[in-house]
Amino acid sequence: MPRTRDAEPIELHGDIWKHIQPGEVILDARGITKRYPGGVLANDHIDFKIRAGEIHAILGENGAGKTTLMSILFGLLQPDEGEIYVRGLKVNFRSPEDAIKMGIGMVHQHRKLVPAHTVLENILLGHPKSRGVINVKEAEEEIEAIAQRYGFRVDPRARVWQLTEGEKQVVEIVKALYRGAKILILDEPTSALTPVETERLLESIETMTQEALGVVPFITHKLPMVLAISDQVTILRRGRVVDRLETAKATEQILAQKMVGRPVIFDLQKPDVTPGKPVIQVENLSARNNKGVIALKNASFTVREGEILGVAGVAGNGQHELAETLMGLRPAEGGRILFEGQDITHRSILDRWKLGLGYTPAERTEVGSIGDFTLVENVAMNYYFDKRYNHAGFLDYGGLRQLTEQIIEDFDVATPGPDVKIQTLSGGNLQKIILGRVLSRQPKLVIANLPAQGLDVGATEFVQRKLLEARSNQAAVILISEDLDEILSLSDWIAPMYEGEIVDIIPAAEARKDLIGAMIAGLHREN
Amino acid sequence: MLAFLIRSLEAAMIFTFAGLGELVDQRSGVLNVGLEGIMLFGATLGFIAAQTTGSYLVGFLVGIGIGALLGLLHGFFSITLGVDQVVSGMGIWIFGFGMTTYIGNPYTGPLGLERLPTWFGISPFFFLAIIMVAVVWFLLNKTGWGLSIRSVGEQPSVAEVSGLKVARIRYLCVIFGGVMAGFAGAVYGLYYNPVWNYNFLMGWGFISLALVFFSMWNPYLLFGGAVLFGLLWQLSLNPQMFFPGLASRYIWRMVPFAMTILVLILISSKWFRSRWGATTPEALGKPYYKE
Repeated sequence: MPRTRDAEPIELHGDIWKHIQPGEVILDARGITKRYPGGVLANDHIDFKIRAGEIHAILGENGAGKTTLMSILFGLLQPDEGEIYVRGLKVNFRSPEDAIKMGIGMVHQHRKLVPAHTVLENILLGHPKSRGVINVKEAEEEIEAIAQRYGFRVDPRARVWQLTEGEKQVVEIVKALYRGAKILILDEPTSALTPVETERLLESIETMTQEALGVVPFITHKLPMVLAISDQVTILRRGRVVDRLETAKATEQILAQKMVGRPVIFDLQKPDVTPGKPVIQVENLSARNNKGVIALKNASFTVREGEILGVAGVAGNGQHELAETLMGLRPAEGGRILFEGQDITHRSILDRWKLGLGYTPAERTEVGSIGDFTLVENVAMNYYFDKRYNHAGFLDYGGLRQLTEQIIEDFDVATPGPDVKIQTLSGGNLQKIILGRVLSRQPKLVIANLPAQGLDVGATEFVQRKLLEARSNQAAVILISEDLDEILSLSDWIAPMYEGEIVDIIPAAEARKDLIGAMIAGLHREN
Repeated sequence: MLAFLIRSLEAAMIFTFAGLGELVDQRSGVLNVGLEGIMLFGATLGFIAAQTTGSYLVGFLVGIGIGALLGLLHGFFSITLGVDQVVSGMGIWIFGFGMTTYIGNPYTGPLGLERLPTWFGISPFFFLAIIMVAVVWFLLNKTGWGLSIRSVGEQPSVAEVSGLKVARIRYLCVIFGGVMAGFAGAVYGLYYNPVWNYNFLMGWGFISLALVFFSMWNPYLLFGGAVLFGLLWQLSLNPQMFFPGLASRYIWRMVPFAMTILVLILISSKWFRSRWGATTPEALGKPYYKE
């Protein structure tokens, strides 16, 4: 093990981490059970072991009990039954503080960092060394040493709000290591990273395993990632361990089938569709973001009937502003939008819906639905202006209810009925109903903003299939996604975005993943 | 003229004490709009205790003690019960206003003790205020405790997963805020204006509260604001010193409060915030529940 001055974090947990042998069991969870009020069994006697120097992926759909298990391992929740042993020592975590002291580190999917603070302050927060007067210089050196050891780059003085998602993740990892983590829990580690960043992360994880750390990624949807990095994989379904296998013996098919409980079709059949006339023509469109900065710069493209334009990019590169400006949620700063030849740049949102645009927002709970309203009321949001359901200002609730039932059936929404509050639905089912209410209008243009983000394998496949179906029905689709595989498998045209600009528009047949990956990372500019 | 200046600075030191406590309190994410109520309690009970026992020390201790208790009460409502912080703070103000009027009424009149000593004509508390400004600034910006306080006020869930105890830190901060407000009240009632009267604090708690927003949560700016308002206050009492014959004295008496409103409007404006960067503690006024 390379020794650097001060790089060894101070021992927080006595001697229990001395002399670790690679392959030795460092964490042993036995019979972990957690029941939520209402009798839901989130974890049902889950057993698993983590060995030093091993990458042990935990795989499961949304609602399989991953989050609960993670929270228990990190002390955020307490199990109703079961025991956890760290290097043979029985532990009882009452809070994250206890877990951290025993050498468990967590890297959250929704970053747990204070945006207004510097990187250094975030890393020091909660560290025993930060009691009393902070020795900034010493801390900076120590952090630098850790970062170098694992091949990370950090600027301790930068403010966290200025960082990209990938850089924030690095800060979280360094923070955990600085506190002396020997077991690193990673929640969806690659979901917000560019391919280049993913590559770098995997290299760093490799270094960690060489130093006999245990690494536990929890993963929902990026199955190739599981295959690429892990040694062992434990698959959860409905709160239970359904299987545990060596990754070398697994394939994507096997994993998905065990995770979902039924065979999943990976190769989406993209039917041949002959593109029709142009539906939307965008010319030099610009818009500002919420901070008032121009975040969309001179975007120009055309989408025709039966075509999918895949807008690829890392969050915050103008895709969101593009979607909102097209839908009228954000004023255009310059340029124009032609819809079937008609200038709609300054038309109202309602007009756009009536003309045949449809939008599924990325913020499903904030913008896409009203949690306290029933499914019927939420479906009415896209229909209240429709002559079929609005008779001189009176809503036809009977008709809307029938329509909702139809959507529930067509889109395979798991719900007790159309009259429950929409907030009771899981993420996947919520997205299905939002997509359903938009597609049931048979829009001429669908703007799908991160339609499969955060969904599990089954729901993702469903949503993607429905978008292809819309394409077959001669709709134009603008698909905004951070997942390059999704973009590549669905799109007819691919528009990588970087810093508010569309770098290039590439026909899908000629698209190469590495090239697009470089374009969205700003490494490759071409006109 | 010198007397005018000294009275201004002494008013400033009282705003500073109360404001510093509130500043720390708000930095941890808890808003206490009941500052006026706590100061009234500190002033009234401190006054009564000092008059009864004949000891200033007892008076100040009682002022600090009641401040700590009321801070604890506000903490219980806003942290443990998760009550809306504005409602809880307003409750404390109304309670303080009513109770101190009732309790203090029989003691209406001067304190009747020998005046506290001064250094070169100004109260030693003024120097204490300056020292405390520096200490609080250092504590907030250079130490781990300050980092914990600021983090709890920005993103409590982050503090939680970093191993901090959010509720405990917030409790300590509201109690500190209460202690400072109680002490500020006691300084007012025992030194600055040692004559008990109905509502003799005249809204100084609210001015201190406004100063915290004015300061953008920076202790040095708070002190600067306090001096400015101290001068303004003194001017409103003696406008004839500088502007003889200009406007009625009732209009002058209104000036500090009108200024408070103007300052608050200005710093709440989008323009001001984008120019100076949003320094508002992100979680200010929001109760935190463990997941």
